[in-house]
Amino acid sequence: MSPTPKLVKIAIYGWTLSIDLTKRWASDIPKKKKGIFHISDGCSIMLDDNDRRIIGHIQGDIPLSRTPFLDLAETAGMDEADVIARIKRLKDEGIIRRFGATLRHQEAGFSANAMVAWRVPDERITEVGERLAGFREVTHCYQRVMHQKWPYNLYTMLHGKSEEQCRQLAGKMSRAVGIDNYILLFSTEEFKKTSMEYF
Amino acid sequence: MDQLDKGILNEIQSDFPISERPYREIAARLGLEEDEVIRRVGTLKAEGVIRRIGASFNSRRLSFSSTLCAARVPEDRIREFVSVVNEYQGVTHNYRRNGTYNIWFTLIARDRERVSAILEEIALRTRISYILDLPAVRTFKIKVDFEV
Repeated sequence: MSPTPKLVKIAIYGWTLSIDLTKRWASDIPKKKKGIFHISDGCSIMLDDNDRRIIGHIQGDIPLSRTPFLDLAETAGMDEADVIARIKRLKDEGIIRRFGATLRHQEAGFSANAMVAWRVPDERITEVGERLAGFREVTHCYQRVMHQKWPYNLYTMLHGKSEEQCRQLAGKMSRAVGIDNYILLFSTEEFKKTSMEYF
Repeated sequence: MDQLDKGILNEIQSDFPISERPYREIAARLGLEEDEVIRRVGTLKAEGVIRRIGASFNSRRLSFSSTLCAARVPEDRIREFVSVVNEYQGVTHNYRRNGTYNIWFTLIARDRERVSAILEEIALRTRISYILDLPAVRTFKIKVDFEV
């Protein structure tokens, strides 16, 4: 049975955030320290129908023409200036992480990619996470829920010219942070790689 | 792909202008003609160098939930498992990796409950019960641009 939502609304920079204080990700997520409130936890940003309509048009591939946003506005039955202003706002607000071309071989020249899972003591997670994220070759770095059957809590994606180079890099990272409990997982086959369709 | 193409790619990965004539702005930055940039981008798309031009979203800021999943699948059942998993639109990445957990996929859905429901459904449909659900607790880095 889920608890009654405790909603708090905050208006900030023209957005209304609706925060459900009772909402939690999952029961197995480590308990957060008291007094620290993570806004991303139960937060939803109010988007109107036009925002959702635009997101539906820019989550894929925009038209290749001199005036892609005018074309898009016409398809969506909206005004070009409004479309441009809304996309800029979504970008400024960080809802759009990036607007631009996605390359198929983003790792051009990097034929090996490894996900490295690390087991880091809880009290060192911030320091170690930040230091590993600082490596140029690391493209993604996340702390994730630790599982009984899979006792790792920090993940880094790294790219190298060969598996050997990835191993050497992981070794260097390991020495830099003094964590030797880690495992390299090389991707050997790609089954799917696409972008999300939200609306 | 020549130096001009590389210059265009570096410009349009994260600095794509949100304006009435984006290609005219890119052309001005590189000292090219607008139509020349459009023609080259068209070729790069046709060649598959550019997968798409558009927005990448912070799914959490859209109040969606995401997770990384790892499954232990016997070798002779991998194709079948992957085809079921890939049916779900919220599965955006799916790879085979070395190790005990050999299939790794990402899943995005409108809320945490839906993520759990999809994972339960996958387990039920495939009778693969070893699926780890590893949502991110904290993001330290997401690098989105690659120097070409």
